[in-house]
Amino acid sequence: MSHALLARQLSELVGEAHLREDPAACAPFALHHQVPALVVEPGSVEEVAQVVAAVAAEGMTVVPYGGGTRQAWGAPVASTNVVVVRTTRLNQVLIYEPDDLTISLQAGMTAAALNATLADNGQMFPLDVPLPHQSTIGGLLATAMDGPRRLGYGTSRDLLLGVQVVEASGRISKAGGMTVKNVSGYDLMKLYTGSLGTLAIIVAANFKLIPRPNAEASLLCSFATPEQAFQLIEGVRISQLTPMALEYVEGLTFAPFTNSTIQVALRTEGLSAAVERHLHELTARTAQAGGQAYPLHDEAHRQLWAQLNDLPQTATVADDELVIRLTTLPSQLALALTRARTTAHELGITLTVSARSLNGVAYLRARGNDEQLRTWHNRLYAHQPTTAVLGGPLHLRREMPAWGQPPTTVEVMRRIKHQFDPTNRLNPGRYVV
Amino acid sequence: MEPTRLIAELKQIVGVTGVVTDPDALMTYDADGCVMDTHAPHVVVLPTSTEQVSAIVRLAAQHDVPVVPRGAGTGLSGGATPMHGGIIIGTSRMSQILELDLPNGRVLVQPGVINWELTQYLTLSGYHFAPDPSSQKACTIGGNIANNSGGPHCLKYGVTTNHVLGVEMVLADGSVIWTGDGTPDCAGYDLTGVINGSEGTFGIVTATWLRLTRLPEAIRVVLALYPTIAGATSTVSQVIARGLLPAALEIMDRLAIKAVNTMYRLGMPDEAGALLIVEVDGVTDGLDELLNDIVAICWSNGALDVRPARTPAEQVRVWSARKNAFGAMGRLAPTYHLVDTVVPRTRLPKMMEEVAQIAQELNLPVANVFHAGDGNLHPIILFDRRDPDQNERALQAVNRMMLISIEQGGVISGEHGIGVEKQEFMPYLFNQDDLAAMAALHQGFDPEGRFNPGKIFPKTQNARDLAEQRHSMAFADRDVA
Ligand SMILES: Cc1cc2nc3c(=O)[nH]c(=O)nc-3n(C[C@H](O)[C@H](O)[C@H](O)COP(=O)(O)OP(=O)(O)OC[C@H]3O[C@@H](n4cnc5c(N)ncnc54)[C@H](O)[C@@H]3O)c2cc1C
Repeated sequence: MSHALLARQLSELVGEAHLREDPAACAPFALHHQVPALVVEPGSVEEVAQVVAAVAAEGMTVVPYGGGTRQAWGAPVASTNVVVVRTTRLNQVLIYEPDDLTISLQAGMTAAALNATLADNGQMFPLDVPLPHQSTIGGLLATAMDGPRRLGYGTSRDLLLGVQVVEASGRISKAGGMTVKNVSGYDLMKLYTGSLGTLAIIVAANFKLIPRPNAEASLLCSFATPEQAFQLIEGVRISQLTPMALEYVEGLTFAPFTNSTIQVALRTEGLSAAVERHLHELTARTAQAGGQAYPLHDEAHRQLWAQLNDLPQTATVADDELVIRLTTLPSQLALALTRARTTAHELGITLTVSARSLNGVAYLRARGNDEQLRTWHNRLYAHQPTTAVLGGPLHLRREMPAWGQPPTTVEVMRRIKHQFDPTNRLNPGRYVV
Repeated sequence: MEPTRLIAELKQIVGVTGVVTDPDALMTYDADGCVMDTHAPHVVVLPTSTEQVSAIVRLAAQHDVPVVPRGAGTGLSGGATPMHGGIIIGTSRMSQILELDLPNGRVLVQPGVINWELTQYLTLSGYHFAPDPSSQKACTIGGNIANNSGGPHCLKYGVTTNHVLGVEMVLADGSVIWTGDGTPDCAGYDLTGVINGSEGTFGIVTATWLRLTRLPEAIRVVLALYPTIAGATSTVSQVIARGLLPAALEIMDRLAIKAVNTMYRLGMPDEAGALLIVEVDGVTDGLDELLNDIVAICWSNGALDVRPARTPAEQVRVWSARKNAFGAMGRLAPTYHLVDTVVPRTRLPKMMEEVAQIAQELNLPVANVFHAGDGNLHPIILFDRRDPDQNERALQAVNRMMLISIEQGGVISGEHGIGVEKQEFMPYLFNQDDLAAMAALHQGFDPEGRFNPGKIFPKTQNARDLAEQRHSMAFADRDVA
């Protein structure tokens, strides 16, 4: 069938205003430079279901699409017949009883909108996704994107309580519930989290919330060398301090340290005496490690984290830039970063790093020409087979394994994918299976 | 199946002492802590290594018999009960702690390690394994993973799944997979995450990397007694509003207090209708002020008595009331059935009323011990199992509590799992499509239903049939108008 027929059908389903078929109108939704045939914005879960069913019936590919901030992730979709299904009109809070410390919301709501809703009630959703004003909750879940405060609060995997999805067949199903503890049936929340839209479209999600702390502040610590910075980080690891984030940042400068490019940003939250203790003790420890520390409060504190949160973003990537996610056992992070840095220096690559220093996750942005980036990635990958390429020039990325070495459990994953999406309608080719 | 040949072959794998066939001995494996449904296995095998488990599972496939993993058998939903007989693989001999890696905050253990033994082992390390089910002195890590068990401290620290970095699992064809080692955010589906809480229906966990949590610098505990539950629950809300998530918030009602009080002589006043334990932890700074605030909140909510505990010794004493609650129930009745259900936190008072109502109508004493911070109730129905009439009323009570829990926006199990105890309640919570999606996941692991068959899904709907129906309907039932 031609796109025109499908377009008419979709237009009847969602209304003309919510369908784009003109290539120019679809262009902003290009995936790895490929403009989708249609972009559709359903207004309800039922509409999503009908749209998915209709698209699948035509043998076309469905790409679930939230704010579009991480559509660069993964290999190019292995299809030329793509319909983008946006979740952005599904942006309502479904159930919010503040005293329950839980919320149910539609997946197209942005992280910023969610936090604004919660702030009025002294609560928060502590997953600091990049570009929170665009990034949707559905996208956050599908990519399992972490944030600096994963140290203190975990990731979406730890806070997701329930989920509703539209499956590849257009069927609607749910799992979990609105309770903070639940072992009623299998934990499909874990399955969908991080599945990159290859199993189903997440349309609603229930979360556990955190009471807003009565005090918070940060400490920016600046060092001459990465070794000094990691001396501080290691000291914090073995201490009983409880920072909510301890971000290692390299290759960027932050006021007031305008001539140093090695920083550790500490975020502390809780009772005000505990916050003071963190600032105080970390200042002393920074000095011992040979660095300088500067406390930040209120607006300066908030701005620092807004900036740090966005560092791994992949919505805007320069033509000569590669964005890499490097993951290691936490104790091996410093060494892995040293390798990445040394190689970058050798090759003449400009490197910036933001790392969840105690979790073993680092986001690297490297700038150089093709040959430099290619060699750099090769060397990194040789040591770190889990290295993922999240953004960069398409021609280069085609040469690189988007997700690193396939996991040894890929057979089981394939069987699961086959159960959920037997005809490979959802994001084919994009993820590990 | 050819029993004699199977048993001979099993003996070749694990040795003569690793195979249990004596009928009397097999009877002790006919149930876990839930005795509503019982069924003995054909044989129990006690392997020591992953290789042995793999060989046993391959043999089971050849003979086409079911395999049921079993830890300590403390489960309360019939999870380890071999509903269709077959082979029980007991993990009691797989109890080695294999590697402690503090720099990465992780420990590698076999599944038969007892939760408490791991806790003891870690005492001097400055770290702990956070999940602390009340059964921790007996239950195994494998059972904790399979049931995604919780404990009083999971309010702040999360349940088992939040502390499992990866597992080694033997699948139905005898193959062995590792789902992770603690390297974060690896690409691919979160198999570790879905294995947690899969109740032994995906495969057998033969080793696991667990996340360790740094011990807090300081802990403060408050025990408060109230004339009624209402005072305790309003205290809970106000403590949370204070802006700090406590490590634990536990409540016991009059009957539960009476049970522990008589058994352990804790000196609780007779008029106490509710006992609340609040625990907070973190760096020392500010914690005493917080403790004082909590004490004040307790008094202002009508407490009869408030006992702050600052030292570890005092804290152990305060906690003993709660930790011994289940053990003390034996004082009150020959049998008890612990109902595990969970509702959104604000529905707790309503649930308590409903539970009291049910107890009264069915004329059964019910004690309550619950995780007030996360809405997890544990009404304990006290009865005499030998009396068929009481038995019947106890079952009715369970049914009604389940249904009310769902009505109140809750679910049917917070931490004990579905097993056989609650399989028939699943359709009240999930529709066919929801169940079919779970079945689809199951098919990814164990397409033939080798492991722990007859669990979780309603008796008339096994995972394979559900998944097959789903598959065949997937592209037929679409109304592409
Ligand atoms: C007094 C008492 C208090 C309790 N308190 C709590 C509590 O506070 N919180 C809580 O969550 N639970 C509690 N429980 C329930 C129970 O102790 C837990 O579910 C526990 O985790 C079960 O562990 P187990 O080793 O006894 O497992 P078992 O009962 O032997 O088995 C439980 C399930 O795990 C599966 N299984 C066991 N080992 C493996 C393996 N290696 N691989 C795959 N599957 C496996 C079995 O097939 C079964 O489905 C309590 C029970 C009692 C009796």
